[in-house]
Amino acid sequence: MHTVSLHSAGLSLDACIKCNICTSYCPVSQVTDRFPGPKYAAPQSERFRQIGQPRSPDASVDYCSGCRVCNEVCPTGVRIAEINARARAQMVAEQGLSLRNRLLGRNELLGKVGSLAPRLANFLLHNRLARRLAAALFGVAEQAPLPRWHAETFTHWLLRTNSNRLRSERKVVYFHGCATQHYEPFVGMATVLVLEHLGYEVIVPPQNCCGLPLLSNGEFGAAEQYHRRNVERLTTYIEAGYPILGSSTSCTLTLKEEAPELLDLEGDAGVQALKFATWDIFEWLRARQEQADLPADMKPLDDAGQPFVLPYHAPCQLRAHRIGKPALDILSCIPGLELRESHARCCGIAGTYGYKVEKYRIAMDVGAELFDFVATQRAGTEASSSFACTACDSETCRWQLEHGTGLPSRHPIEILAAAYGLYDLQARRPLGGN
Amino acid sequence: MLDLLVIGAGLTGLFAAYTAARSGLRVRVIAKGMGTTHWQAGTIDLLGYLPGEQRPVANWAEAVPELPAAHPYRLLGADAIRTAVVEFQRLVSGAGLPYESAAGSDLAGTPGRSGWRDGGNSLLISPVGAPRPVYLAPAAQQQANLADVRPMVIVGLSGMTDFYPALIAENLRRQGHRARSASVPLDKLTTRRDKSPLQLARLLDQPAAQARLAEMVADAAADERVGLPAVLGLRSHARICARLQEATASRAVFEIPTLPPSVPGMRLDTTLRELLAGLGVRVETGMEARGFRADGRRIQWVESETGSRPLRHSARSYLLATGGILGGGILGERSGRVREVVFALPVTAPGARSQWLRPLFLDSRGHPVFQGGVAVDARFQPLDESGAPVYDNLWAAGAVLAHTDPIRERSREGISIATAYAAAKAVARAVSQPPAAVN
Repeated sequence: MHTVSLHSAGLSLDACIKCNICTSYCPVSQVTDRFPGPKYAAPQSERFRQIGQPRSPDASVDYCSGCRVCNEVCPTGVRIAEINARARAQMVAEQGLSLRNRLLGRNELLGKVGSLAPRLANFLLHNRLARRLAAALFGVAEQAPLPRWHAETFTHWLLRTNSNRLRSERKVVYFHGCATQHYEPFVGMATVLVLEHLGYEVIVPPQNCCGLPLLSNGEFGAAEQYHRRNVERLTTYIEAGYPILGSSTSCTLTLKEEAPELLDLEGDAGVQALKFATWDIFEWLRARQEQADLPADMKPLDDAGQPFVLPYHAPCQLRAHRIGKPALDILSCIPGLELRESHARCCGIAGTYGYKVEKYRIAMDVGAELFDFVATQRAGTEASSSFACTACDSETCRWQLEHGTGLPSRHPIEILAAAYGLYDLQARRPLGGN
Repeated sequence: MLDLLVIGAGLTGLFAAYTAARSGLRVRVIAKGMGTTHWQAGTIDLLGYLPGEQRPVANWAEAVPELPAAHPYRLLGADAIRTAVVEFQRLVSGAGLPYESAAGSDLAGTPGRSGWRDGGNSLLISPVGAPRPVYLAPAAQQQANLADVRPMVIVGLSGMTDFYPALIAENLRRQGHRARSASVPLDKLTTRRDKSPLQLARLLDQPAAQARLAEMVADAAADERVGLPAVLGLRSHARICARLQEATASRAVFEIPTLPPSVPGMRLDTTLRELLAGLGVRVETGMEARGFRADGRRIQWVESETGSRPLRHSARSYLLATGGILGGGILGERSGRVREVVFALPVTAPGARSQWLRPLFLDSRGHPVFQGGVAVDARFQPLDESGAPVYDNLWAAGAVLAHTDPIRERSREGISIATAYAAAKAVARAVSQPPAAVN
């Protein structure tokens, strides 16, 4: 069991003045009574869990999706989502964990198993009978947008194209995450191509899952093992002064803040070093842009020169970095690109939340705000470009966006790689012999 | 490069950002969280009480000269305040959120239907039935004007925990008004357990719920003015108001503010954010400004806190709109030190905790600590102890300012709007005329 301490998140609850702004913006409590809202679930309930009080959290805290919109809007700086995550871990410690949540927390393991025989895995998982069985036996929602294993993992592609890779004095480390490794290797390819276009050599050291799915399912012990292993594997590169770049906003958030804070590892020197070495890919690109170190050879995305309308949603996990919306800063330099910024709070899926049979409907209701936004932006622009898609920095959010809108969704790095002429945005593959 | 970085996203920050962007400046807003607009009634209280006075101010324009000389309103003068308020009214009314004074919707504030002079406050109804001196209010709240002598019925929604019609009606009767209370059942409208004002407002955006409520309210009211909790729609507020007016015999329906979250405050906040988005101004929330760098008297950048390394924001000019003690722009420390949180500017406030507060909570003179803040010159640039601007490219507006106690004065939104407008205009002038090179 994880040790209990006086931590920064818990202490922040004393700043709560009960103004209810968090509840006003909570996308989950807006659509269901099963979650009473952030104020009740976190700062108000936390007082009863303090030392010397009966400690069991109320079961409703499990309906917090962990989207962190409450943290974002709180005018007094209460770490509401972290208080909820700790409460959920407390429940898991007291009551144990379902097989489903144990599996959903092990994204890395699922990815590895499927990648042994991706076609077979896709066939076995992606048919109605299997999905019904998964729903009935494990409680994995039948319609939720599960990803497909890709024929080739990202690191396989790296090995295969090793002779094409750029060698340079300027080096960066890429933390790709599980989804890029097994389901969307093309996001990793786009990242590598863009970084090489800037003149950087991309180092991809062995790495494991960042541990976020475990953290959100309350398995803090296992998450700590994952995090410590990543710290071990990345330390030499950090000491050499290389930045750790990630294209998955939730992985980078975990390395920067979630793991150190939730696991009480803030005093660990290696953990702190990783925290400060980690960058979201666009956060880092924006810093290059500020140093006038970003190539300006971006071309319009539409060959016929038509305006390309792109609804862009900055996911909750990116907004939780508190770095603004760096992808907007960069993509706005692409000629002919009409960016439409979403102000929707959350797509609903929140990592593994929307995959759970009892939460699927909630996740879709939460996402309606975003799906409606996309539909409004698309209205009247159907004929403007040959290919239409949305953009979003986080993988599960992209899958949910595709599920909710019927439109393909892309990582902003894919958009940028396409604008540099390095990548086929529609087919999702590198151009020019890669 | 940005022309202006606004720190704070309350009414001050958003209105200043809009004013500056409309003047042609490239503007961005960063804020720790959503602004305190969500805690306010959505009305524009210009000046309700003079220091030490128990009687409400009848006409703010006439009362401004009676304020202490250092008060931000005295730095501006009544004409400049009026210009800002008229601009605000034109802006939000044009965006579909009509605001009116007692004189009606006439933008210039000339004598209107009830014969009020320019600057005339009205008395509206507080969540407990007390009179609130207000200048400009959303049309639906302005209808509550206590100068209207027709009888009232205060209609509650049974099951809603944050509105007390019997208490309000009783308080109104004690003040000599004709008022009674009634209630309509909420379970005919919703099965949700969450009956917060915001949730009800979202419900009442739906036409079916609007029709249902209109029917029930018409049955509950005789030929009386009808007061309802301020939950009448978030997005389709005008539509439900029109529907209720049509359905009731008196054709007079008004909103009374509730406990937070304040739906009228959120309507105003949403309207301003949409106006800013329309001008391409980004408002970044969840970004707490923590530090800065200045070379001599020029601020080079401001840093905000992130999940990792601090984020730098560079701009030609900076506008501090972080609010007072409530908004978090001014912090009272246990040691008794009162400080401004971003630029560590000099703050006028009592230095010892024992002098912060008077013994009586509702003392009509207010509490000294709430009058503390950042002193500025007539261009709204913060001053040092010697009376010179601390930085050449820094301005301040709103509740962070010294020599005003917006809660006690009932001037909270007026201070925001008038000083935001003046500061933004001053920034625009400074950016368009860079200072002459110093030899």
